[in-house]
Amino acid sequence: MKFHISRQMIYILSLSVVFLIVVFVFAFAVLIPMGKEYRVARMETKKVAYHVDLIQSEYDKVYGKLKNLKADNRHVIGAYTTIFNADRFAKVHAQHFESFSLSELSTPVQEGDFATYEVNTSTLINSPQGFYDFLDAVNKSDNIVSVNFPIHFERDANLIKSSFTMHVYAANQQENNASQE
Amino acid sequence: MRNSFIKPRVKTLISPEFKLLFFFFSITLGMLLTSYTFLKVKAVMYESNIAELQAKGETLKTDIISMNGEITFIEIEKQHAEGIYTSNTVLKESIHNLFDLVPQRITLSKADLKEDELVLYGITPSKEVYEFLLLAPLRSIFHRSYTSYYAMDNGWYSFVSKNYLDRELAVQ
Repeated sequence: MKFHISRQMIYILSLSVVFLIVVFVFAFAVLIPMGKEYRVARMETKKVAYHVDLIQSEYDKVYGKLKNLKADNRHVIGAYTTIFNADRFAKVHAQHFESFSLSELSTPVQEGDFATYEVNTSTLINSPQGFYDFLDAVNKSDNIVSVNFPIHFERDANLIKSSFTMHVYAANQQENNASQE
Repeated sequence: MRNSFIKPRVKTLISPEFKLLFFFFSITLGMLLTSYTFLKVKAVMYESNIAELQAKGETLKTDIISMNGEITFIEIEKQHAEGIYTSNTVLKESIHNLFDLVPQRITLSKADLKEDELVLYGITPSKEVYEFLLLAPLRSIFHRSYTSYYAMDNGWYSFVSKNYLDRELAVQ
């Protein structure tokens, strides 16, 4: 039996073989490595996303804590950043005294995270109650103020003369920034 | 004049078999290239996502450090302020107690308050009144008390009372 293959069939078979080789080469040399790269990238994305989620939840926790702390201590935070105004302070607290005068603020002294200004005060009061009311009110004032020893009381006719030193505290901004860094 | 009874077949450059073959080849190549493009685009997208996520993570970490610094500083401020408020309140109570301590029969003319020292100037009808009504409670508060009396024309005494707290003893 004579087996005859036409020239066209040979061309088609040859082309098919060449094409098959091209497809295999493309698949093994390009497509499979690319698939591997894709799979690795997908896994890596999931891993990084999980890691970022953890950081995000930590961020949310810290942010919530900071927000609550700021809300709870709004007065204290504001008081440390408010610039001491002697006129305003005298005006607000004059109601507790017959007469109330403040000296100039001293140059600040650095005490750790805070700058401390000293101010000398002399007052005239009707009764010690005025001084007690002042000490209560000073804790609610716009600044952080401490009344310090020595305190001097002296009778002056029907009034009491008193003199004492106050310390006004301000947040040291540089320290604050440094601690944040 | 015609030499054949059949019509001549139209000869084309590419036969229908070849066309069919090329058609299948094209489909296969198209699918391979589409798959490659899909994988390439997705990989690039994932890589870009990774870069974005990493940048976001770094920003969050920096923010967390910054916020922790802020929290620490606010807590220091809070503690410091509470200390000052307490010292003001304690001072108020101390002065309140001091003035409550002075009986009506004794009149104070001057008082000097220092951290560990209290000096009182005043007048008393008699030494005994002072000793029983003021010196006794002062002695219970201070470690050392010294009093000087000066007789006045009206029979009363003016006095200077110096009272000291010894820190070492106070600590013990």
